[in-house]
Amino acid sequence: MVVRPYNDELKYLEKINDHCWRIKKGFQPNMNVEGCFYVNERLERLMLEELKNSCRPGAVGGFLPGVKQIANVAALPGIVGRSIGLPDIHSGYGFAIGNMAAFDMDNPLSVVSPGGVGFDINCGVRLLRTNLYERDVQPVKEQLAQSLFDHIPVGVGSKGIIPMNARDLEEALEMGMDWSLREGYVWAEDKEHCEEYGRMLNADPAKVSMRAKKRGLPQLGTLGAGNHYAEIQVVDEIYDKWSASKMGIEEKGQVVVMIHSGSRGFGHQVATDALVQMEKAMKRDKIETNDRQLACARINSVEGQDYLKAMAAAANFAWVNRSSMTFLTRQAFAKMFNTTPDDLDMHVIYDVSHNIAKVENHMVDGKEKKLLVHRKGSTRAFPPHHPLIPVDYQLTGQPVLVGGTMGTCSYVLTGTEQGMHETFGSTCHGAGRALSRAKSRRNLDYKEVLEKLEQTGIAIRVASPKLVMEEAPESYKDVTDVVDTCHAAGISRKCIKMRPIAVIKG
Amino acid sequence: MIKLKLESLGHPTPSDVALSNRKEFASTILWLEDQKIRLYTIEDREKLRNIDNLNIWEEGYTKYCADLNMPPLESQCEQLTWILGHAMRLEFLDDPGLYESINSKQSQPQGNNKQQPGVQQNVQTIFDGKINVQEKEFIAGVRLLASKLKIPHHPNHLVQLEAVARVVHERLSPAAKNRQPIVGTPFPFDKGNDVVSPNDPVLDYPMRVLRLLQIQSLRQLQTQINETIVSVQNLTANPKTDTKLGKVGR
Repeated sequence: MVVRPYNDELKYLEKINDHCWRIKKGFQPNMNVEGCFYVNERLERLMLEELKNSCRPGAVGGFLPGVKQIANVAALPGIVGRSIGLPDIHSGYGFAIGNMAAFDMDNPLSVVSPGGVGFDINCGVRLLRTNLYERDVQPVKEQLAQSLFDHIPVGVGSKGIIPMNARDLEEALEMGMDWSLREGYVWAEDKEHCEEYGRMLNADPAKVSMRAKKRGLPQLGTLGAGNHYAEIQVVDEIYDKWSASKMGIEEKGQVVVMIHSGSRGFGHQVATDALVQMEKAMKRDKIETNDRQLACARINSVEGQDYLKAMAAAANFAWVNRSSMTFLTRQAFAKMFNTTPDDLDMHVIYDVSHNIAKVENHMVDGKEKKLLVHRKGSTRAFPPHHPLIPVDYQLTGQPVLVGGTMGTCSYVLTGTEQGMHETFGSTCHGAGRALSRAKSRRNLDYKEVLEKLEQTGIAIRVASPKLVMEEAPESYKDVTDVVDTCHAAGISRKCIKMRPIAVIKG
Repeated sequence: MIKLKLESLGHPTPSDVALSNRKEFASTILWLEDQKIRLYTIEDREKLRNIDNLNIWEEGYTKYCADLNMPPLESQCEQLTWILGHAMRLEFLDDPGLYESINSKQSQPQGNNKQQPGVQQNVQTIFDGKINVQEKEFIAGVRLLASKLKIPHHPNHLVQLEAVARVVHERLSPAAKNRQPIVGTPFPFDKGNDVVSPNDPVLDYPMRVLRLLQIQSLRQLQTQINETIVSVQNLTANPKTDTKLGKVGR
């Protein structure tokens, strides 16, 4: 890493407009393309402060600042367009979380990097609507939260209540949501309203290690820990009435359920296994990167292909996982209100993936190109009339589900044409961490955090309360800042805002 | 569009044809007959020449429309569009070779000689060969049906027949009549987030309509897919849970 005084570093950064900064070549060595990031005034301060801190003499260890990570990604072979940082960006393993980068599939030197997908492969958000209103749910929210908590096991080391054997798992890895459909856990319409229709076709369970499968098997249908949660939310604000009505959201006060989860230990193991393989491949193919964490392999190499197939299997695992929790949520609601999920109109509005690499066609310099798009902590946001979004959303653009921090608020955005041009159809994914986990544990007290939530009238069920301060709103950026920046920059449009009334958490 | 068509036919003042003025309309029709269509001999055009006496002209025009075999069209604009289209077709048929170079690539190979006028079209039949679709009686039947159902005219009666079939299927079939009326808030089609062509309403409107039709057929396809999945689920689905397996983490 180049170490320069802060003021020298600033010379490589240029503010293009109110919401976008450019990172010029030379900020980090060997940059193939420029970088950029989207921020508003407050997020800009956080971003630059992080850079400033890393420039202090004697600052060593820990993650590189987000800006530096964007620039390092811009130095990877085969990258096209720009290396893009979304407003919720924060440091991660190799790639920052909230960084998207696209690689030209026709360039034999192009790479795929597990760091660009993240450890929680196909972590994502699913939103279920109901025809209930706040007045129906408020009186029973404690029981409902408990019922959800009983149905969906949470926390580190939790085990699911859907019986599965090794053969079931193999099939689920290959079939994704089609497995859940075949077994009858979900509805046909759920598949229609899921990114990629809930199944990556190139998945190959044979490329997944035994260890990953062993870790994954008992965890299916569990929420996990960390920032994952299931929330009962209430529609708080509708910005775009017509798009909201297309999603079945008619009025303020309508109750929805948000599930934020991923591929659990399975995806983590797939990523870990791949990193080991890729270090070997880098040596063999003489691939040089600025950061050891940016382990990668050529897309067409054996290691690259193996990773993509295993990653697809992990993505399928995550979809089956979210589908299983959809089933359990419907059961919990149906029991509570003594009716059927059908009568509660519990349809999936949409299901987004925010940690994934996918092959997509985009326009680059006026030409259509096949790209491998890495989105880590970034959500796909395709515009109206894109062939890959469901027919119901052809007029509105793809729904983008942005989960906020525990106890704050969440948003639904829609994709735009401008986002397609500027960010390869990508936008933010959540609030984005502001304090590291360790720092939050040191600075905050878990009792205070829980009390605060209670005061705001949110029912909460937590498996490991002593870790709850890691997820306290204070540890995160303000999701409203993040979403407003995306809206103002035009890379997605605000549609609906929701606030939680009950939370269950790992 | 009318302006473009007039321009291509060499009308001296294509931009100045005001449709609201009946007299101007009459003179445009006369110009088309004089210069392009030439259905009548010069002497027979006498009545159409009475632009200054619109009563006589209207009489001549009614007969002229009938002689042109123009379908019953209501507005002046529709009539002019149809006559312009007719004139252009005649102009094209005078020397199709002239326009060969601007044909699209796909139609060129077959377009060389086969598409020349006068070449017998393949005889198409329906209902196991019992009805020849090019027979006059059949064509007249289709036209009559279309006019009863208020379906706009199309030069190819088979295309019109398809439209008839669609209207019957969507609106008049027993299944359609018994269909529940659609409930919910309608989505105004000009309120979507999609940008079509905001500065050009002439392009914007039909584009939106076409896209809606495309979305409708996609929706039908997706519904069929969903129905198929559900029918398979009836055979395979057996969701199980076992709460004994559950374990909440630390």
